[in-house]
Amino acid sequence: MNRIVLASRLLFRDGRAGELTLLLVALVIAVTGTTAITLFADRLHRTMTAQAADFLAADLVISSSQKIPRAWLEKAGQLHLKSAESTEFSSVLIENDELLLAGVKAVSANYPLRGFLKITGTAFKAAQTVHAGPAGGEVWVDQRILSMLRLKIGDTLTVGEKALIISHILTYEPDKKGNLYSLSPRVMMSASDLAATRVIQPGSHVHYFFQFSGSADAIGAFNHWLKPRLEPGQRLLDIHEDRPELGTALTRAERYLGLSSVVVILIAGVAIATATRRYSERHFNATAVLRCLGCTRRDILWLYISQFLLLGMLGSISGCLFGWFIQEALFHLLQNLLPGQLAKPGLLAVFFGFVAGLAIFFAFALPPLLRLQRVSPLRVLRRDLEPLPTGAWLVYGLAVGLIGLFIWRYTDNLTQTLSILGGGAIALCILSLLVRGLLLLAEKSVPRLNITWRFGVQGLTRNTGASVNQIVAFSVTLVAMTLSFTVRNDLLDNWRQQLPEDTPNYFLLNIFPDQQASLQQALLNHKIKGSRFYPVVRGRLVTINDTPVQRIVSKDSQGERATHRDLSLTWSASLPEDNRISAGQWWRAAQTGQVSIEQQLADNLNVGLGDKLAFTVGSEQFDATVTSIRSLRWDTLKPNFYMIFSPGTLDHFANTFITSFYLPEAQKYLLNDWVKSYRGITVLEVDALLKQFKSILAQLTEAIDYLLYFALLAGFTVLFAAVRASLDQRLHEGALMRTLGAGRTFLRQTQFIEFALTGFCAGLLAVVLSESIIFALYRQVLELTYSPNPILWLVLPIGSAALVGLSGYWGVKEVANRAPLAVLREAE
Amino acid sequence: MIPTQHDKNQNSIITTENLGKTVKTAEGPLSILSDINLQIKAGESIAIIGESGSGKSTLLGLLAGLDLPTTGSVVIDGKELTAMDEDGRAAVRNELIGFVFQAFQLLPGLTALENVMLPLELGGIKQAGKLAADLLDRVGLGHRLTHTPRQLSGGEQQRVALARAFVTRPAILFADEPTGNLDSKTGQHIIDLLFELNLENSTTLILVTHDPHLAQRCRCTLNIAAGRLA
Repeated sequence: MNRIVLASRLLFRDGRAGELTLLLVALVIAVTGTTAITLFADRLHRTMTAQAADFLAADLVISSSQKIPRAWLEKAGQLHLKSAESTEFSSVLIENDELLLAGVKAVSANYPLRGFLKITGTAFKAAQTVHAGPAGGEVWVDQRILSMLRLKIGDTLTVGEKALIISHILTYEPDKKGNLYSLSPRVMMSASDLAATRVIQPGSHVHYFFQFSGSADAIGAFNHWLKPRLEPGQRLLDIHEDRPELGTALTRAERYLGLSSVVVILIAGVAIATATRRYSERHFNATAVLRCLGCTRRDILWLYISQFLLLGMLGSISGCLFGWFIQEALFHLLQNLLPGQLAKPGLLAVFFGFVAGLAIFFAFALPPLLRLQRVSPLRVLRRDLEPLPTGAWLVYGLAVGLIGLFIWRYTDNLTQTLSILGGGAIALCILSLLVRGLLLLAEKSVPRLNITWRFGVQGLTRNTGASVNQIVAFSVTLVAMTLSFTVRNDLLDNWRQQLPEDTPNYFLLNIFPDQQASLQQALLNHKIKGSRFYPVVRGRLVTINDTPVQRIVSKDSQGERATHRDLSLTWSASLPEDNRISAGQWWRAAQTGQVSIEQQLADNLNVGLGDKLAFTVGSEQFDATVTSIRSLRWDTLKPNFYMIFSPGTLDHFANTFITSFYLPEAQKYLLNDWVKSYRGITVLEVDALLKQFKSILAQLTEAIDYLLYFALLAGFTVLFAAVRASLDQRLHEGALMRTLGAGRTFLRQTQFIEFALTGFCAGLLAVVLSESIIFALYRQVLELTYSPNPILWLVLPIGSAALVGLSGYWGVKEVANRAPLAVLREAE
Repeated sequence: MIPTQHDKNQNSIITTENLGKTVKTAEGPLSILSDINLQIKAGESIAIIGESGSGKSTLLGLLAGLDLPTTGSVVIDGKELTAMDEDGRAAVRNELIGFVFQAFQLLPGLTALENVMLPLELGGIKQAGKLAADLLDRVGLGHRLTHTPRQLSGGEQQRVALARAFVTRPAILFADEPTGNLDSKTGQHIIDLLFELNLENSTTLILVTHDPHLAQRCRCTLNIAAGRLA
């Protein structure tokens, strides 16, 4: 008990004397950063997932070709999940002597569980948002149904044997599936009318979607329970797979948020290590006295560890509180961008922040603290007796181990984590060697320099070990800051490029060949920028090198989904824009029977160059040889194809055309004209989806910016901590120099030179390291294209020299101002 | 050898008038020194003695321009230190004053030679290396020029400090307990060396000490008690 009292008393005294201020600030920043980011990322993730769930109209969806077992629904009930059901099938509608194949969707009363529907009374006019499907006896239809079947609102539409009243035009449904090319115009009706239509008979081609919503835990449990029970033809829909354009953005954002957390932890950790080193050095004398008075090494260790535990808890609790307020403030700032329904902050994230805070604190503070137990009692007689430094393996091992755990947590990939850590360790070794080389060069130049420069340079070269540590610490901090900044910029540029202002917001499908030229001209006349018109033939891949594909594909894979349904096949003489050849060659001459396959599908089906693929179109079968493999981006909202054939291969099949374009609000009236003039074409509006997607990106951008500011704040703390860490020695030397006649200007100049050189070296090495890491990161984690950044090579060393130089100048300004009598006082 | 800067014909090299120092404490102002009036002639050797806390080191600091008094003035070689700014006082210290401290106060990152060169370089004097090496040789450390303070014994460190103090041939040498950290034999050796160098350079010596034997070697003794000349 006495020891705890002694530890508390010493801690209190140190705190009052200002000895702990810097350490506490570094700790609070680390914990605030971790907690704020964990809370923010967790909450944003849950909010965004909930918003993304709007695109599925639920949190979890089972897609199935038959009804699911009753036990599944009972299990969902036990878990207090809400459920809804939609049944989709094709049906031929006949009205006013016109025939039309429509996609009918019968929805239960709870549909949609997430998101909303949009309906209107007049075509292409402002729509109202509703949260339930049509009532019994009513039907909502696409505008195209009205124009094709010459109907109007209030008329009757017969589906199967049931006559229903058309009450609204349906303009948006959240979970419209991505298979754009086979879309038939939508008819939405109530599930209560389904039996009366008598459309669904045994053997009918019907697709069921069972939707569920509820707490994240319950959904997780249900998901876990369901997975092993799924049969062929049943699968769980996933936002990442079923909305690739959104999935990619979310995945990248999640990784970026994780990366930012690691960056803040790393930077704040360096600040903690630096501040603890100073704390430790300032306690050498007191420790020597305690050892003289009979304290064992174990007593000393216990004394300081218990103080640090108290300090760690104090800092962690304050950090958690600050973190909480900061994430609240962030959400407040972002309130206009975020959906109204925010997820609640997770208490688990706060607990994680607290525990992570203590772990970070000890991982970085322990090595310098352990030095205290090695203080010799002889130091009371010989003040120059310094304890041995802690072994490098412990210093770096603890820090790297902890950072590794965090990286593992965010990447969820051990190989990736180990390669990042291995790369980091190699980089650190190379960095240290480079710093030593630079310092050696500087030392050689010393005799040729004037006294001011000489003292500035000697400040660095006198104690090479300490200088290497300091420059490496600054380099790591700068690398972390640069990474945050560069990745953020490239990520945002990438998103902007992906969705520029004129991103297509409409698709036109099912355009017949005789309509194509005239429609293309109409688009040109109205100066509407669109993609090419691609011919489309619906066909199915049946064999690969004469082996049926069903034997090749694995269950629930992209390959299975691509081969279980008709694909849109096209032909083209030239490679579509945004496509890149990754293997083989694009055809030069018009030779039929060649096919270019999309990279991911090729990988999934294990298809390579020269393989023979067989397709069926209707009842006819034909072969094609793979001559190239293409990579492309599915998230551009432009027509994309798994299979592109050489011109002439598909000539004898009937085809339609597809295009996409951007139509400004003011020109939307044109759609009405076209639907009337070009009968049979399908207009697919992706405006709402696009707006929602852009809003998510805007939120992410803002969030990422705030996280970057936090990383910068942590970086400046490191700088300040490092400058202050050497303050005691500088004060003593400064006072002595002034006693011997050095002017204040001289002292300031030498200090500025020393810090600016430190900054310059750190900046130079940071740029080399950052560029290497960015290269690896883009290739392996973020899947972005790397290009060198020449501005970085200029800005980082110079900026760092100025920044570190000025911080040093400001941080140790009291060295030039303190009365030199202090030296005499110390000697007394 | 460089010539000494001060005018040997001038009688008083240090003059103080009503010198006093008061500091603020939680219990109110505390007077450390008051009414110190001194006239020290060039070439004199003076020992300042007194009990711990009597104000000896404070007086030394004020005389050397290392701190500013609350009242009164200090004039060194005709220059009023108390009217100068810090950089002005630093220039005077570099030109006229040498120091020897109890704890040696060598810069740990510099070698013995570099430590001795330091005041010469700060004064912009060329051939600093040669002058410093000569003087280190004079104090018996010609073979340890490249050693850092950590590699030297206490006695050797104090000899380096003596060389540093005399290398600019200062008009005044302030020594604060120069043997306080040394054993008696080494201390005696250092004191002998100090007085030899003092004699060779005709330096005014102002020495703070507890040691009555050491004080007796000075021509004159000032006894301080409770902040006043006794």
